[in-house]
Amino acid sequence: MNRQRSPRQFRLPVLAVGAALILTAVSACGSASSSGTSHAGSASSGPITIGMSLPMTGPVADVSKSGYQGYELWASQVNAAGGLLGRRVKLDMLDDGFDPNQTAADYTRLISQDHVNLLLGTFSSLLNAPASAIAARQGMLYVEPSGGAATLFTRGFTDLFFAQPGTTTSLPDQFVAWIASLPASERPPTAAYVTQDDPSASPAVAVFRTRLQALGVKTVYYQVYDPSTTNFDSIAAAIAHTQPQMIIQGAVADDGAQFVRSLQKLNYNPKILFQTNAPTDEAYPSAIGGAASANGVFTAQSWSATATYPGNQGFVQAYTKMFGAPPTEDAANSYTAGQVLQAAVKAVGSLDQSALAKWLHDNTVSTIVGPLKWDKAGDPEGSLLLSQWQHGTLQIVAPASAATTKAVLLTKPAWDSSS
Amino acid sequence: MSELLQAVIFGVLTGGVYALMATGLTLTFGVMKIVNLAQGAFLILSAYLCWTLWAQLGIDPLLGSLIVTVPLAALGILIYRFIVERVQRVDHRLTIVVTFAVALVAEAVIALVWGPNPAAATPPYFNEAFQLGSVSVPRAQLYAFLLAVAVTAVLQLGLKRTWLGHAITAAAENPEGARLIGVEPKKIGTWIFAIATATTAFGGAALSFLYQFTPDSQDTWIGLTLSVVILGGLGSVTGAFAAGVLLGLAESVTSAYISVRWAEAVPALLILLVLLIRPQGLFTLAARQDAAA
Repeated sequence: MNRQRSPRQFRLPVLAVGAALILTAVSACGSASSSGTSHAGSASSGPITIGMSLPMTGPVADVSKSGYQGYELWASQVNAAGGLLGRRVKLDMLDDGFDPNQTAADYTRLISQDHVNLLLGTFSSLLNAPASAIAARQGMLYVEPSGGAATLFTRGFTDLFFAQPGTTTSLPDQFVAWIASLPASERPPTAAYVTQDDPSASPAVAVFRTRLQALGVKTVYYQVYDPSTTNFDSIAAAIAHTQPQMIIQGAVADDGAQFVRSLQKLNYNPKILFQTNAPTDEAYPSAIGGAASANGVFTAQSWSATATYPGNQGFVQAYTKMFGAPPTEDAANSYTAGQVLQAAVKAVGSLDQSALAKWLHDNTVSTIVGPLKWDKAGDPEGSLLLSQWQHGTLQIVAPASAATTKAVLLTKPAWDSSS
Repeated sequence: MSELLQAVIFGVLTGGVYALMATGLTLTFGVMKIVNLAQGAFLILSAYLCWTLWAQLGIDPLLGSLIVTVPLAALGILIYRFIVERVQRVDHRLTIVVTFAVALVAEAVIALVWGPNPAAATPPYFNEAFQLGSVSVPRAQLYAFLLAVAVTAVLQLGLKRTWLGHAITAAAENPEGARLIGVEPKKIGTWIFAIATATTAFGGAALSFLYQFTPDSQDTWIGLTLSVVILGGLGSVTGAFAAGVLLGLAESVTSAYISVRWAEAVPALLILLVLLIRPQGLFTLAARQDAAA
């Protein structure tokens, strides 16, 4: 989903960014007159090279690996079907170690030295922000599988496209709509909000708060915590003291399970619990005491293995066959980014970056995460799936077009109840 | 009022756990003047071992900690005899570097064995709490606190009532004087490392069911345990316990009444304050370095 993790260390000094930007500016000057087609005309025969930088080492290497595998599967399927524009697709992947400075340097190299024909995005808002800026300066189309922070879409870029159904601002859509659909007597009267200070989490929680307050849900607690926070006992105690019926957490990764464990230690069980990101993690159920404890927890997803969108089941099967394990959300998002790029190239019939961007702005693309359509800033006009843990399975409960069940657990069962 | 009481209870219980985790470091730092930076990695190793015993054999982490003390004590002896003691002979200041290296290697080994995913034990009592009116006393936290009290008491008794304890105390108070009366530093060092590393089994057990942990969680805990040791004073087990409780209380009350974000800065502020007012720590032993003179 809209993941964002903090870097633990920066391998290169800030100077690297400066150098990258200077290189970009210099090369941009050299190609300014033909920026729209400069990458389209290079090597009209031979493979189409698609460049990307990914954090294959460092703190998010585990999830980044599956993201790259999504790209690999997409490329292999394209090649098996005859390639793009009759040419084979070749991936040119660099490792940035989850360092934004290195990401900027990598995309500069991909464009200026490797002369790739097309670009695909990287992981998280943290890395996609500098990468998309480099691409924009070079007039390159930039389709990103991750990086849903609202701030990425307020910079005036017209070549940026987010390959998920929604961003942080639309994340609450389905959940708030569900709350609004409840009879007034069943709506939770009070809510507590707690969020990591993160560009993909805290803005979403702020939107939750505004919209739920408009529905008459009173805010009894609001807290923003640092990304380094590992002990949530005090927060949980303060929340328990205010006795909210509903808790919304802007979690990013492990903090989701850590927070739940602190609630569990106090045996405080809210009627409704919504967390971003964390409940989709593979390790989440076991970290909070098993799938039974996850029962009733809501989250938002960009993709689900059980969704019935065209091609999704084929993707799940092909990925599982190729890599020996079912795909993750990150793998699906990368695959989707490939689908978006493929649709544009196929429709336009060339690698003209401006024409590709224009086509994407004017059309809807069918993908495994549903039909995608973008506004002028590349912000998708849809919303994420609302999912809920139900008896050991993460079920999609909204929108109705993608729902895998019609049942919604109105009241979260106690932590230790059996599934 | 109940909010304050809840914050105090949380602070005391959490602080006890901090003290439990810092006990080993108190001994190596206080007596041997060795900042054993590998102590955080040993803590995580203990947590993984306790977690494995719980996940694979269903052994409660509190009970599992007793089993884990044995391999951890052996590890402590090996690390001291084959690495620290040899480096110490060359230059005592290098011990901090070599224990840092041990920490890095240990983290890599832990990651290889258990993988990068977070782990946490969930014994039956981890999501239960005693209710005292409007105040909750989490059972898991209470049990960890009681374990901390027990370990501190046993160590304190050992230091006061046994020959080894007297020797360790003597070495802490007056290293040169202790040598003159036949306390052999290498032997004492081996014992201290064995005990210090073994006690991480208890801290690791508490960690395994109170919090999630990953191979690199040592970064968080080594900083906190160092804070406890500096606050409490070198070599004082009861001082470390009191410092842990003080730290936990300060964090908890700050979270409740000021901000969760300020709670992160509490250890640093407390250390600064103590270093300004009482540089030897709140409960330090009165060291004498004049015997050789």
